Amino acid sequence: MRRVEEAFRDAGVTGWLHAVDLDSGREVSVRGDEPVVLASVYKVPVLVAFHRQAAAGLLDRTAPVTLRPDGRTAGPTGISAMLDEVRMSLRDLALLMMTVSDNAAADAVLARVGLDAVNKAMADLGLSRTHIAYDGRDLHATLLEDGGVADLGELWGRLDEPGMLARLRVLDPARTTRSTPREMTRLLAMVWNDEAAPPEDCAQMRRMMGLQVWPHRLSSGFPYDDVRVSGKTGTLPTLRNEIGVVEYPDGGRYAVAVFTRSPLPLAVLPQADAVIGTAARLAVGELRR
Amino acid sequence: MNLVGHLNAFVAVAEELHFGRAAERLGMAQPPLSQRIQRLERELGVRLFDRSSRRVELTAAGRMLLEEARDILERVERVHTLAERARLGETGALRAGLPPDLGGSVVAALISAFRDRRPEVRLDLREIGTTGQAQALTDGTLDVGVLRHPCDGRALAFGPMLAQRIGALLPADRPVDGPLHVADLAGDDLVTTPREEAPGPFDEMLAVCRRHGYDPPNVHEARNTQFALGLVLAGTAVALTPRVQAPGVTWHPLAGDPLNQRVSCAWRRDDDSPDIAAFTETATAVLCAEADMTPLSPSSPTRRVVPRPAFGFLA
Repeated sequence: MRRVEEAFRDAGVTGWLHAVDLDSGREVSVRGDEPVVLASVYKVPVLVAFHRQAAAGLLDRTAPVTLRPDGRTAGPTGISAMLDEVRMSLRDLALLMMTVSDNAAADAVLARVGLDAVNKAMADLGLSRTHIAYDGRDLHATLLEDGGVADLGELWGRLDEPGMLARLRVLDPARTTRSTPREMTRLLAMVWNDEAAPPEDCAQMRRMMGLQVWPHRLSSGFPYDDVRVSGKTGTLPTLRNEIGVVEYPDGGRYAVAVFTRSPLPLAVLPQADAVIGTAARLAVGELRR
Repeated sequence: MNLVGHLNAFVAVAEELHFGRAAERLGMAQPPLSQRIQRLERELGVRLFDRSSRRVELTAAGRMLLEEARDILERVERVHTLAERARLGETGALRAGLPPDLGGSVVAALISAFRDRRPEVRLDLREIGTTGQAQALTDGTLDVGVLRHPCDGRALAFGPMLAQRIGALLPADRPVDGPLHVADLAGDDLVTTPREEAPGPFDEMLAVCRRHGYDPPNVHEARNTQFALGLVLAGTAVALTPRVQAPGVTWHPLAGDPLNQRVSCAWRRDDDSPDIAAFTETATAVLCAEADMTPLSPSSPTRRVVPRPAFGFLA
């Protein structure tokens, strides 16, 4: 896909993409089998494992969880940003984890499901190159430790110091939570085809991914009122990702996974967000030809 | 069997997913290509492609083997490159890349200083932009380079980071009262080096310009510094560059120094040749002495970054 490569180059990023027509199996791949850092996209494997456990009767999705304000996992949204005690069911925590990428909610769900169980669920689904290394709290600690910084603001500010990017393990797919674009579209395909869990659980997962609030990445590539875009973003310094499913009113359904890495040490980089949508549209356009 | 040739055929078909196009790319006819794939499949005992329908698709085994095959082909390529260097007696040469806009006196000083330090090593200098250098270093066709930041350098190691102050180059007869601010350039076209030579610094410069109130109506990309100078002399565009002296133009520093150009030596992370270390030390010293560059210390003031939810931690 030369046009996808050109779009990545024009946006100044290195990109990885895999897109597949969920019904015909046709696909488009740009380095789709190379390992990539998931960042918050890891919340999709957590969600799938959560629903598999709930369906197996291993946990009660409506069980209330109390989250105290002290020691919450850092993050800019949802419970991570709240000041008071929160009591919420596991499934509503999962909703916040998916719709606003709430890190505190995600860690609460992950604590109940278990890291090993998430990795086992991925292995059971045949996703052998997908690996979740730690929860959000440990990822945050690793990032600050490697950067030798007190907080993320300082890390962003010092990101262009010589050697800084190379020191951050959470940006190296060999040493952190990882997968491949192809395995992520495979996982989405299983959620959309009712194969990742029982049908009612898959329907719940699709609902949550359809309620994600972010407009700037995958969604921006499909500015059409009659097209549904469901997705989950992932962000870490220099990394911008989103995986999702695009559904057309004629029944066309396409799973897309886009991962990007920018050399610019900038937090706000709209063209790098938008190219995720552009690349996805080019790939889906190819699949719809 | 000629495993390398067969793997090459496999990778071509896997990338094109079309026997006709793959054959065209390999410069061969389609029937012998199909035979090659069949022989490889027999040799390995697995099917690599599903050709049941009208389309060609990789099997699970094919997908698994593709990355390994690419890896082997890259290593074979490197063996050939190294062998060619040995054959040409170039193992005593250091292939170094320099950015096109470095300036003649800097290049001369660098050659002379390196010759003094390592007289036995022939310095093979090439003029290449940052993108080309990063690619050539990764490919193994270049040993060391001097490139601009930010750049995509995951496979590379870097020497000390140097910073060079950037100012505005204006026609000498253009009146400038007091310190020149970036916003004072509003309305002027900008001339700068082509984006493809170094997309990171290009994008960064434009982002900083816009942030400071200068959104150039047109950006002219000039490969040649004389062409850029011509546009400035004619009043068609202004240039943002390290200090330049030329008749008819004046270089002005920018108030607050919002722009700088960052440069460092770079080499393959796994290459610890003493020649590279010597080049890096020499080049770093020469760039500081001759090109007005200063080492960027880790204690330079931290950039201010205001967090936003959509770009926040694990968003």
